[in-house]
Amino acid sequence: MNIFKHEFKMNFKSTIIWSLSIAVLIFVFMSLFSTIAADADLMNEAIAQMPEELLMAFGMNNVDFASVLGYFSFIFLFCQVCLAIQASNYGISLVSVEEREMTADFLLAKPIARNKILTNKLLAVITNLTITNVVVWISSFVFLNMFRDGREYETKTLVMILLTIVLFQLFFLSVGVVLSLLMKRVRSVTPLSMALAFGMFVVNAFSGMLGDSKLELITPFKHFDPNYISANAAYDTPLVLISVSVILISIVGSYMLYQRRNIHTAV
Amino acid sequence: MNIFLREIKSNIKSLLIWSGIVLMISTVGFAKFSAYADNPDLLAILDNLPAAMLEAFNLNSFNLTTVTGFYGVMFAYFGLILSISAVMWGSDIISKEERDKTLEFSMSLPVSRGQVVWAKTAAVLFSSIVLALFTWGAIVVNAKQYQPDSKFYEFVALGSLALFIMQMIFLSIGILIACVVKQHKLSGSVAVSLLLGTYFISILSSLSDKLEFLKYFSPFTYFNAADFFRDAKFEPVFVWLSAGIIVIALAAGFFTYSKRDLYI
Repeated sequence: MNIFKHEFKMNFKSTIIWSLSIAVLIFVFMSLFSTIAADADLMNEAIAQMPEELLMAFGMNNVDFASVLGYFSFIFLFCQVCLAIQASNYGISLVSVEEREMTADFLLAKPIARNKILTNKLLAVITNLTITNVVVWISSFVFLNMFRDGREYETKTLVMILLTIVLFQLFFLSVGVVLSLLMKRVRSVTPLSMALAFGMFVVNAFSGMLGDSKLELITPFKHFDPNYISANAAYDTPLVLISVSVILISIVGSYMLYQRRNIHTAV
Repeated sequence: MNIFLREIKSNIKSLLIWSGIVLMISTVGFAKFSAYADNPDLLAILDNLPAAMLEAFNLNSFNLTTVTGFYGVMFAYFGLILSISAVMWGSDIISKEERDKTLEFSMSLPVSRGQVVWAKTAAVLFSSIVLALFTWGAIVVNAKQYQPDSKFYEFVALGSLALFIMQMIFLSIGILIACVVKQHKLSGSVAVSLLLGTYFISILSSLSDKLEFLKYFSPFTYFNAADFFRDAKFEPVFVWLSAGIIVIALAAGFFTYSKRDLYI
């Protein structure tokens, strides 16, 4: 329990900052909705005359800025970027921070099994991430209703989009943990988490385009594509399952690796 | 010179990782392109569209059936990736001494603080140049299979120059942050938030005409592929703006770092 409390406190400030920034992000983008929706109405008329292939080529076939959820899906992608960076930050630093700051020998000398340490740490960051998750839920609902400009939207679809956050966070968290354990020594966290989060984001950006390439299946941005969810009111189940299995494999792998890890110490 | 070589060596792994990411993205991208390349259906559609619409969607410069147009679309993503690497390198190269507790050692060397910072800047500059050249090469090699014309190579050369300037902006901002922020743990987060902030600003500025003034605040919008494709040159305002940011950021970084308290 002590470890849990300590870990939770350690990340608490950063959790608050991340949560507030995402709330501000949603606020700023949503507040522009009425302006953009008006433009989009005109644009939709033009788009309606364009052939399907062309729209697919530009990834515009699912995007509809004139509808509340269409616009929200667009914003949600950027929330996902933030969530991905936050979760992978926490994941990569979860156990590596002890070795970097030479506190690993102190922690491991305590009468607790390594498994238990890892469990406590994981639960603590998951609590932190859940706080952010809740803030995203609240701010989405509040700002959506504040700025929706009298346009209607399906609450169920919005809930479906927001529900994906849990798995999305867990994906980057668990992949971050296993990555940090696969490395001999993690010197600094941010560059790694940026590479992970933005690498996935950019690979996903191509998936909107026509043409087949299997590489994009690795990215959770694709697994939980808000545009797909809002357009079809359903999840892309096989892709979600890829995410779930990656999470499971990473967590099991982390426990195995941490059990046998050679801990780098000061002396 | 020793510091320079030492830093290049320590940065090699990170350089390889970023090169891998660039390679992956250009490979995925050009694999996608095979679906468009000279696709007759798409060409027929483009021919039938009214000229005004082509203009509105930038379809003239970004004709996706040509490899040139495709590069124009991909340009933004390369800009994002290279900017991230640059801002990370810039802030890390300065702050890592404090983090790894090697600062006392490097400060006891018979060189001034300014020289240490200069040598480090030169080292990350070197890495950025290598990454920029690698990106250029990866694009040209990947594009070869589609037999691009000479105009494509000119466009890519111009694009690579734009990417390099963006790298320089973010590199100098990263160095400035690490030099100014006293808590070494914070400098990475400040760099990330700045990068995310400017990226979101660039998205906002493209959403509506009324928000276009925002483009002065985000380096991501300084070089618009559609514009320099059409004019075959950059907008002078933004070139000067970039140069100004780079010079001011580096100068401010050196001055503060030579005077500030170091965390040991």
